[in-house]
Amino acid sequence: MSTEEYPEIEITLNVNGKDYTVKVKPYERLLDVLRYKLGLSSVKEGCGRGECGTCAVIMDGKLIASCLVLAIQARGKKILTLEGLAPPGKLHAIQKALLDTYAMQCGFCFPGVIMAMKSLLDRNPNPTEDEIREALSGNLCRCGSYLRFIKAAKLAAEYIRKGQVYFEFKG
Amino acid sequence: MDLSGLKDKLSYVRKVNDNIAIGALTTPEDLAETFLHKDKKYLGFYDIYKKFASPILKPLATIGGNIGVAVSASDYLTFLLTLNAKVKLVSVEGERLVSLEELVVEKRTLAKDPNELIYEIIFPELPENYSTAFMKIDRREVIVTGYITTAVCLKIENNKIADVRIAFDRVNKRIPSRAKKTEEFLKGKEFSVDIIREAYNKVLPAEMVRKSDFRASGEYRLDLSKVLMKRTLLQAKSRIVEGV
Amino acid sequence: MALPTAEYVKIVEELFEKVKKFTYVGKHMQRWDAIEKILGKTRFTADYANLYRNLVYVYSVRAKYAHAKIRKIDVSEAEKVSGVLKVITHKDVPGVNDVGYVIPDQPLLAYSKVRYIGDIVALIVAEDPYIAEEAGEKVYVDYEPLPVIIDPLEIVDPITLEEKKHVLIHDERESDIVARYRIRTGDVKKGFDQASVIVENEYRTQYAEHAYMEPEAALAIPEPDGGITIIASTQCPYEARRAISKVLGMPFNKVRVVVPPLGGGFGGKEDVANEIGAKAALATLLTGRPAIAVHTREESIIGHSKRHPAIMWYKHGASRDGKLVAVEARIILDTGAYASLGPFVAWRATVHSVGPYKVPNAKVDTVAVYTNGIYAGAFRGFGNPQIHFAIEQQMDLLAEELDIDPVEFRLKNILRNGDRTVHGQLLDHGVGLEGALVKAAKIANWYRKRAEYAKQTGTIRKGIGAALLWHGNSIGAEGADYSAVSIIINRDGSVTFRTGLTDFGQGAIQGLIMLAAEILGVPPEYFRVEMPDTASVPDAGPTVASRTTAMGGNATLVAAYKLRKKLNEVAADMLKCSPDDIEIKAPEVYCRSDPARKIRWIDLIEECFWKGISLQEYGYYRAPKARWDDETGHGEPYFTYTFGAIIAEVVVDMETGKTYVERMVTAYDIGRVVNRVGAELHAEGGAIQGLGYALMEEIVHSPEGKVWNPNLYAYYIPTILDIPKEIIPIFVEAGYIRGPFGAKGLGEPSINGIAPAIANAIANAVGVRIKSLPMTPEKVYLELKRKGLIKL
Repeated sequence: MSTEEYPEIEITLNVNGKDYTVKVKPYERLLDVLRYKLGLSSVKEGCGRGECGTCAVIMDGKLIASCLVLAIQARGKKILTLEGLAPPGKLHAIQKALLDTYAMQCGFCFPGVIMAMKSLLDRNPNPTEDEIREALSGNLCRCGSYLRFIKAAKLAAEYIRKGQVYFEFKG
Repeated sequence: MDLSGLKDKLSYVRKVNDNIAIGALTTPEDLAETFLHKDKKYLGFYDIYKKFASPILKPLATIGGNIGVAVSASDYLTFLLTLNAKVKLVSVEGERLVSLEELVVEKRTLAKDPNELIYEIIFPELPENYSTAFMKIDRREVIVTGYITTAVCLKIENNKIADVRIAFDRVNKRIPSRAKKTEEFLKGKEFSVDIIREAYNKVLPAEMVRKSDFRASGEYRLDLSKVLMKRTLLQAKSRIVEGV
Repeated sequence: MALPTAEYVKIVEELFEKVKKFTYVGKHMQRWDAIEKILGKTRFTADYANLYRNLVYVYSVRAKYAHAKIRKIDVSEAEKVSGVLKVITHKDVPGVNDVGYVIPDQPLLAYSKVRYIGDIVALIVAEDPYIAEEAGEKVYVDYEPLPVIIDPLEIVDPITLEEKKHVLIHDERESDIVARYRIRTGDVKKGFDQASVIVENEYRTQYAEHAYMEPEAALAIPEPDGGITIIASTQCPYEARRAISKVLGMPFNKVRVVVPPLGGGFGGKEDVANEIGAKAALATLLTGRPAIAVHTREESIIGHSKRHPAIMWYKHGASRDGKLVAVEARIILDTGAYASLGPFVAWRATVHSVGPYKVPNAKVDTVAVYTNGIYAGAFRGFGNPQIHFAIEQQMDLLAEELDIDPVEFRLKNILRNGDRTVHGQLLDHGVGLEGALVKAAKIANWYRKRAEYAKQTGTIRKGIGAALLWHGNSIGAEGADYSAVSIIINRDGSVTFRTGLTDFGQGAIQGLIMLAAEILGVPPEYFRVEMPDTASVPDAGPTVASRTTAMGGNATLVAAYKLRKKLNEVAADMLKCSPDDIEIKAPEVYCRSDPARKIRWIDLIEECFWKGISLQEYGYYRAPKARWDDETGHGEPYFTYTFGAIIAEVVVDMETGKTYVERMVTAYDIGRVVNRVGAELHAEGGAIQGLGYALMEEIVHSPEGKVWNPNLYAYYIPTILDIPKEIIPIFVEAGYIRGPFGAKGLGEPSINGIAPAIANAIANAVGVRIKSLPMTPEKVYLELKRKGLIKL
């Protein structure tokens, strides 16, 4: 059967707090739906095989590779991407901490890295360095901001523990 | 086939009589929530989890899938061999229980009908004085197949090796298998590094055939098998004796 | 050529002498694009797909053999697939079917033969990416396989470096030798006669992959006048425009290249960007629709340039008192199927081939050859990581023979102010190598740790090792070395900054803004950096060779200086004081002698508007012309050099051979630190990339020329679990008169010294020396086993 013969299926999924109903082909990946049907292009494709972490999103509370999940498997699930991390006009503590530690380089891995940090801090409000390393071990960063990620995760955890979850920003 | 609709139904860890049953669609992430990651007897599961693929795959991979692909890198398969696990296969005609060792016949080849599904994995509960360990080593820490992997299940009584099961990612076929001659040699002996050394220098090489590929040579893989065999046994023993 | 009297040279030199106190330069500052990136709003090339309707997708059908003649390409079946709009082959190329970078040796679409596994024989243009890929299976190519050569020693003799008899890969060139370079200084025979120790070894380095996280992408858009706009993930917009125009047969002014932020580059997004840009542009030209091409990770790894593998034979001689007396070397670089930047890489390797040392007698011969491997080109370091891996181990071996501490031995031989390089170039100022080495040794506790680690027992051992490095700034004698920016002060007082230099993560553009802000007296947040676009930004030369800060920085100084001069004059008129007395601290402008006399920045700008003073300036800088004598290797190959000292500390598990790098101290002389955050990130990022190069990374070809590991699973780059606990960046600011406020580059040099420092640390820890990269656990273990140092 060639690709065009597959029928499209209608699915509903909740992304960043909002329900979306989209038509998808059975072979379409969650990654494609997020990027191209919902326009959430913070979700990146770095390898398409779950090896790099640039497409990581949080699905029903778990950090997953959206390139390895079919769109139909995400039916009815709650998904969080970087776009939904903070209210409009605000920075989340993780974003603030990454700026404070001057971690930014090319930024292509950042959406995935931020989701991995969010997933960690949701489970563990005060992670050790080893726990941070383990939690981010599926997110490759070729520019080499890793040491800053460790600092930033600790700082973000501190902000959140103090109740500072969102921050105002300029620009 | 997409079985995710069955996800809730087939994701569980249960004690049934003297056995432990794991649903085929249980993920490493699910396992991490269960007693298998806390009970010192089953810390091999924890060891696998630490080295399993990467965090973004832990909620997606399933233990049934890991067994189903039946490759050297199937870490759960390697480990479950040391637990004498059986697999429950289900089809429209009914269900049957087959030992994991008999089920996996060759790389990517299972002794089952295509219409039979892996339903659950069952293994006998480990009595006291048992523990387990698993190790994988490669050039980097995670997102690796491992040059080799080793899993052990050990019973120590009065510093004697009362029972031992050792599995590697391969012994002489391209699938995870037990090193039974090495196990036999060790059984009943006083636990010591010297006896382990004797086992891996004299017995293991006689039953193990390691291959070379672009990642590593057979010679290195054999030597690494010895090292990880020693280290997993020491780890399991420490878990039994010291509780850590 | 930059005459010393040229206005722009005078400006740069004057500012170097005059300005010693800074408001922005050298400070920790947030990069201009950090917020949009942290919000996930930054659009990388592939993200532009969301902004265009009616896109078509381009899929590349690649070779089935690494070396074969093409008898026939049959696309008729592929064309019939529903949803396929066009199948493009070499016959459809309207211009010149070539994307070779330095030499026109690389067809965009193969026609007579394929030379490696990534060669493209056809492009499928379809309504859907999945359909395009499916149709790709239906392109039938009749191949006549030819012998595949993966080992460069089948091309050249390792001793004579003469070409061997073999089936030619580039029969049209009648030779598979791409380039040769040499250095002849003094008399090596005499030199070795004076030597009391001689160390002679062969070193090998591997094929390495950039593995930037963003795979290559390009999107082409048809323009009403028949021109084409290409949004592309490229380091070099003007270079891409040249290459694409050539393929399309279109004048430069009808081809527009726009460059969004890149998800990493490291030298890799040069030639392949030309290729993918040309593919998308061809699809647009032939279908009239916007076309997108995005490489999969596998295509990226198979289809773009790599770091050259090298085979290096080195012989070093030193006198009893620890002075280098002679160096002889033969260097073979494997450039794979196409030259790419291979000739330039080979030249850079040759220039640096004796290390940052005083060497009275040297004989070096370098050759770059074709094979049927993936083509090799630019990658951070550009030939230098390879030769430093050899040189710096040789230095440790000499020290060992002489029983001198390796740091002390280096101190006896390093280049200092007033010394001449092996090419006879006088380095009269700005050499901060000694300072870098001494500081690094102090911070790393070198002497104490060397003594301590000598007493270890057991199978887990620690080691500490040092390596020095140097790196000529910018492109040197490779080509025309110029840069340009334009700065526009808008009527509302905001500033527009334009340059053809790109950002691929390194953040060097931030340094340019800080320089401009410093001179103009306005804060960096007044600036907006425009996206590189050949329709608006000036051609600044390529963004390569660690040249953005040094070269782009000088162009920025020139533009900002000219603006500042005008502003000072108009302000002086308004405030009735001398132009030299004007202080700009936007939003205020005042007289330094009487700060109460002040106006607003916005009023100054408005006054310039009414007076007809243009606040749009172009800054241009051309580097002093490099000199190189092909026969002797003498001259002034680069106008200045970055120097550095690396100290690495490792833990080696002798039973498994696995090395863990615990700590690195990296000390660099980069003249003056401009963008401090960027400099620190380079030091850290280069160290981590160097660690991967040292210990785990390697692209492996099968004997048939296929790639065993075209993925991020078996091409191992470091994860966050593999990196040191600590990387300590130190900067020595020796100052170079023709750098912006004395600055030099750091992008590339930050990888040069990492692998040899780790190699020397491994040797210190366990007593074995690994002479080939990567230094895998297996190599370390088997060497220990062979020497009887470990017994299981």
